[in-house]
Amino acid sequence: MSLFDKFATQRALQAALGGDGRVAALATPMDAVHSATSATINGRRVLLAGTNNYLGLTHDEACRAAAIAAIQTQGTGTTGSRMASGNYAGHRALERALAEAFGWPAGIVFSTGYQANLGMLSALAGPGDFLMVDADSHASIHDGCKLSAATTIRFRHNDPVDLDRRLARLGEDTRRTLVVVESLYSTLGDRAPLREILELTHRHGAWLLVDEAHSFGVFGDRGLGLCEELGLLAEVDFIVGTFSKSLGGVGGFCVSRHADLELLRMASRPYIFTASPAPPVIASTHQALRRVLAGADLRARLRAHSERFYREVAALGYKLGADTPGPVAALVFKRRESAQALWRGLLDAGIYTNLMIPPATPAGLSIVRISLSAAHSDEDVSRIIAALDGQIETLRVSAAAG
Amino acid sequence: MTTTTEPGAAARVESAVREALALIQPAAAGLDGDADLTAEAGLDSVQVMDLIMEIEDRLDLSIPVETVAEARTVNELCAGILRLTVRA
Repeated sequence: MSLFDKFATQRALQAALGGDGRVAALATPMDAVHSATSATINGRRVLLAGTNNYLGLTHDEACRAAAIAAIQTQGTGTTGSRMASGNYAGHRALERALAEAFGWPAGIVFSTGYQANLGMLSALAGPGDFLMVDADSHASIHDGCKLSAATTIRFRHNDPVDLDRRLARLGEDTRRTLVVVESLYSTLGDRAPLREILELTHRHGAWLLVDEAHSFGVFGDRGLGLCEELGLLAEVDFIVGTFSKSLGGVGGFCVSRHADLELLRMASRPYIFTASPAPPVIASTHQALRRVLAGADLRARLRAHSERFYREVAALGYKLGADTPGPVAALVFKRRESAQALWRGLLDAGIYTNLMIPPATPAGLSIVRISLSAAHSDEDVSRIIAALDGQIETLRVSAAAG
Repeated sequence: MTTTTEPGAAARVESAVREALALIQPAAAGLDGDADLTAEAGLDSVQVMDLIMEIEDRLDLSIPVETVAEARTVNELCAGILRLTVRA
């Protein structure tokens, strides 16, 4: 009996996915990253098409300059929590800028996007409260529920009727219920029916938190996300976001139209018991936020790429995880071997994508996920589509299509 | 807690659990009540979630994630769900 016995599944998967001496499909080793769209893997230059770097801001010149300047003046790290020595002017300024962007009174910065959900859900919902979460939520939401002393109930993915039924069962307790959804689900690229969910959540007297991790920067006139695009900002209670997608850094945030959000600073363990983000991260993120707010040009470019990609890839015969085009394009397969063969074929053709397999995926699907970026050129998008075209025959032979 | 259950509640819960199990994992339909749901019935975490949703539909109640996490066997799951119906 060993502590490692319980990892038999992981051991088998590790062997199946990279045990043959070829480049591993999970945790693929990057030798070097050259730009938002280019890296070297296994000694070869590849085009990056699986990085969530939707606006390409990791390599924006002004963002990089801001990070370098912050290191020169403030050092490399804060070595302290926001509750102790890590509460710098830069952290507070970024929080104000985020809250003001939404026109709301309060904003809190967390050290990672994962901690933003962990810190919000665990602190906001306590003993006797209820967390009502979409069944296909990101791990950070499920883990936030686990850390919370509240009762957690899951509703069927993107199903307002099911949510309505579950809220009705709670009766008066809906007043102490937080409904949690993502606006754009990153595995399949599908969107929540936000308007319906908001309407019925408030009709039942419950509260709504929307995670805009993959939609912040991408949707809305000012890039604030799908709630902005749908005109829902006056009613949503909390919006959570991340710095590590469109903003090109690392960290997370929550903003709210309720000024009492501020109280969570005294109660949220994932906020309190960790070091605050390093000065260069805060500086580059703040600069990236300015670029996002004025980034209609980047969003238009990304939208054009997404629409073209969805149209042409569907025409090739691939099955996509969502109907509405967006920056996440999930090519779905029933068999893991088919997805794996496509992932490897694309890498051999010089394109890096993401392989996602059960149990990390919904409905037992295996997925090759492609994320598009405003930093991709039209030629880059053509190259990805051409590579997908080139894999069709291989897939047919290897799987009789999965 | 007083435990005045409606007559037949336990049987109703168990038959809902069995029906749902047969749907999600047909091979596990006749599973022993004390058998482990993940190790012996071979359900992964996603299948357990699907199983719970099927049971919820049949019984018209919401089963908290915590109730599921505490139950390792069919019998424990039935007992946990029965406690919910008593409370309600």
